Amino acid sequence: MVRIRFHGRGGQGAKTAARLVATAAFLEGWMAQDSPLYGAERRGAPMTAFARLDRAPIRERGMIARPDLVVVADDSLLADPAAHVGDGVEADTVVFVNSEQAVTQLLERAPCPGRLLTGDLTGLVLAQLGKAGALSGPLGAVAARLVGLSETNLRTALVMELGELGLPVPVIEQNLSMAHACFELVQPVPLRQNGDRPGQPASLRTPTYEPPTSGTARISALANVTVRKTGGWRTFRPVLDPEKCIGCWMCYLHCPDGAVRMTGATHPLIDYDHCKGCLLCVEECPTLALISEREAGLVRRSS
Amino acid sequence: MTMSGELLTGNLAAAWGARLAEVDYVPAFPITPQTEIVETLAGWCERGDLAARFVTMDSEHSMMTAAGAAAAAGARVFTATSSQGLLYAFEVLYTVAGWRVPLVLVNVSRALAAPITLESDHNDVLAARDSGFLQIHAETCQEVLDSILIAYRIAEDQRVCLPAIVNMDGFYLSFTREPVSRPEPDRVRAFLPPYRPSHLGFKASRPQALGVAVLNSVGYSHFRYQMHLAAMNALAVHQEAADDFARLFGRRYDLVDGYRLEDAEDVLVMSNAFATKGKAAVAAARARGRRVGLLRLRVIRPWPSAAITQALKGRRTVAVLDQNLAPGLGGILYQEVAATLGGEPDRPRALCSFVGGLGGRNIAEGEFEAIFARMAEAGERGRGVGPILLYTEEDRRQMDQWVTIAGNR
Ligand code: SF4
Ligand code: SF4
Repeated sequence: MVRIRFHGRGGQGAKTAARLVATAAFLEGWMAQDSPLYGAERRGAPMTAFARLDRAPIRERGMIARPDLVVVADDSLLADPAAHVGDGVEADTVVFVNSEQAVTQLLERAPCPGRLLTGDLTGLVLAQLGKAGALSGPLGAVAARLVGLSETNLRTALVMELGELGLPVPVIEQNLSMAHACFELVQPVPLRQNGDRPGQPASLRTPTYEPPTSGTARISALANVTVRKTGGWRTFRPVLDPEKCIGCWMCYLHCPDGAVRMTGATHPLIDYDHCKGCLLCVEECPTLALISEREAGLVRRSS
Repeated sequence: MTMSGELLTGNLAAAWGARLAEVDYVPAFPITPQTEIVETLAGWCERGDLAARFVTMDSEHSMMTAAGAAAAAGARVFTATSSQGLLYAFEVLYTVAGWRVPLVLVNVSRALAAPITLESDHNDVLAARDSGFLQIHAETCQEVLDSILIAYRIAEDQRVCLPAIVNMDGFYLSFTREPVSRPEPDRVRAFLPPYRPSHLGFKASRPQALGVAVLNSVGYSHFRYQMHLAAMNALAVHQEAADDFARLFGRRYDLVDGYRLEDAEDVLVMSNAFATKGKAAVAAARARGRRVGLLRLRVIRPWPSAAITQALKGRRTVAVLDQNLAPGLGGILYQEVAATLGGEPDRPRALCSFVGGLGGRNIAEGEFEAIFARMAEAGERGRGVGPILLYTEEDRRQMDQWVTIAGNR
């Protein structure tokens, strides 16, 4: 069995990537299974999706604890402990990371026990679409290529899955050409064949009653949202051109995370520690005073 | 025998339970046959007889939400509903139970639609049996009042901290007057200390979030199981409360209520108001030489397995007469009693299931006699029967007539 785990951020397309590789494998005559795990369903928050491919019936479900292949939609996830990218990764696990950086550079910042590969899928999308877009097509294509599926079946899968999402034909065409580029970018890799491991008998423990102060799902600690920095979620950042800003407060109103503050001079001030890069402010600004800029480097917390 | 107390309906007895518990807050929504409870409380609050805030809500869903929120803020809360109203509040039952807020809800049982009827059976309250609410089912108007006080005492105990339902039958108790003795307020205060749960209460400077998202199956399992452990603690806490109650008020309530069990070879299991009829039928059958007894289930959540096993093991036949119906299965309480006895080495030779009293249909003495006869046969054969609906030739004739009048024949 091949167990693939995708790591992405809400909105990046990891779920569709898992569907793409599963559909391509299914078309190729494999048994396949895919499923997403959304967590809080918060745009920008880390999420995972899974695909299992096998020649025999698949008798597993749910999360993949020991993946054979890990596909990471963005290198910022490596630095985010909440993303759990490294969970169950062993020396023979293949880890592909979408990053501008080379393997050696990445390893300096984020040690990875697996066999690390990188490729700049975001650059590919920017070149192809002329703007930022979901990465589902390229991520699915890279996964399909790495496990050795055919481009023909991947193309059919792209047409099926992206068509089902209601994407217009030109976008599907662009994804087909990006998929071709991905097939050139990476080569099939030998994946480990000994992924199955017998489970140890669990030692069960009898729960005991706790007083309702600790035995009830409640939070009595003071708010800690300021401590939880979500700036590391960004792959793109909103940047203000003060010349164009008319102080209309639209960005302030639409920011879902309260990361925009209006200053005395009525201009917005973005809190880059907490701006998660959803770019809603960029979309809503009526004067194009906010533009999006691609984040560079692995760790891009604050300004 | 001289009667003490006064004649009160079950509804009035319930209102008195809330008044004697000196509740702080009563969110309310009317529904037959419960309306008299909240009307009475509304009048008392208006006249200042009860120092509680009474608020009419737009639905039972809002009512239960308000009840849970007020209890979380530190108020002692009482509310009441019935039938469809309980179902309308259903999702909130689970929610407030998860908050671990010890409020008391009186449910006046009435059969569920469709078709619509007004009299009682227990599909309403049993639908809520897995919500995390404790459940005490009353046989008499006196027991309604007393059980409300006991319910607050158990629910508010730090070893429990769960909401509780006190159940009574619509019409058969709610609108029926019988002698009820009202406990002295001073003694009630001695029995029921002020409400001070450690994890609840409102302080503006110290906000807290209850029933938060855990988004994680390990945390969810942990907290859900804590609710189970809390409910199981209620078995012992009930006994302590029952002991104090007996000492202060002279009336004794146990988890289950046995009637003529000593040498009974066959035992009929019932709950709620019709158990009174069952006891009369047992007495009559005893006079005719049958060695029968009755076990009334009183505390239904937590499920008192040990007390039930103790009362029923070694009998020849045990039959459960369910006043409810799970379509596609049969009687609900039969399943639980049978599961309880299933692991008992000295289990009865035969387990039987009867279903009767649906929509408040009367159970006649002759029908009890038919039940006892079937139980004796089953015990001799060593093989149970059921579910058997209490349905007679006369019922069939009446149905034929109605179907004709309705133009369906
Ligand atoms: S500042 Fe803009 S990009 Fe950042 S979180 Fe707010 S709306 Fe999203
Ligand atoms: S929406 Fe644009 S113009 Fe309006 S305040 Fe924000 S940056 Fe300025």
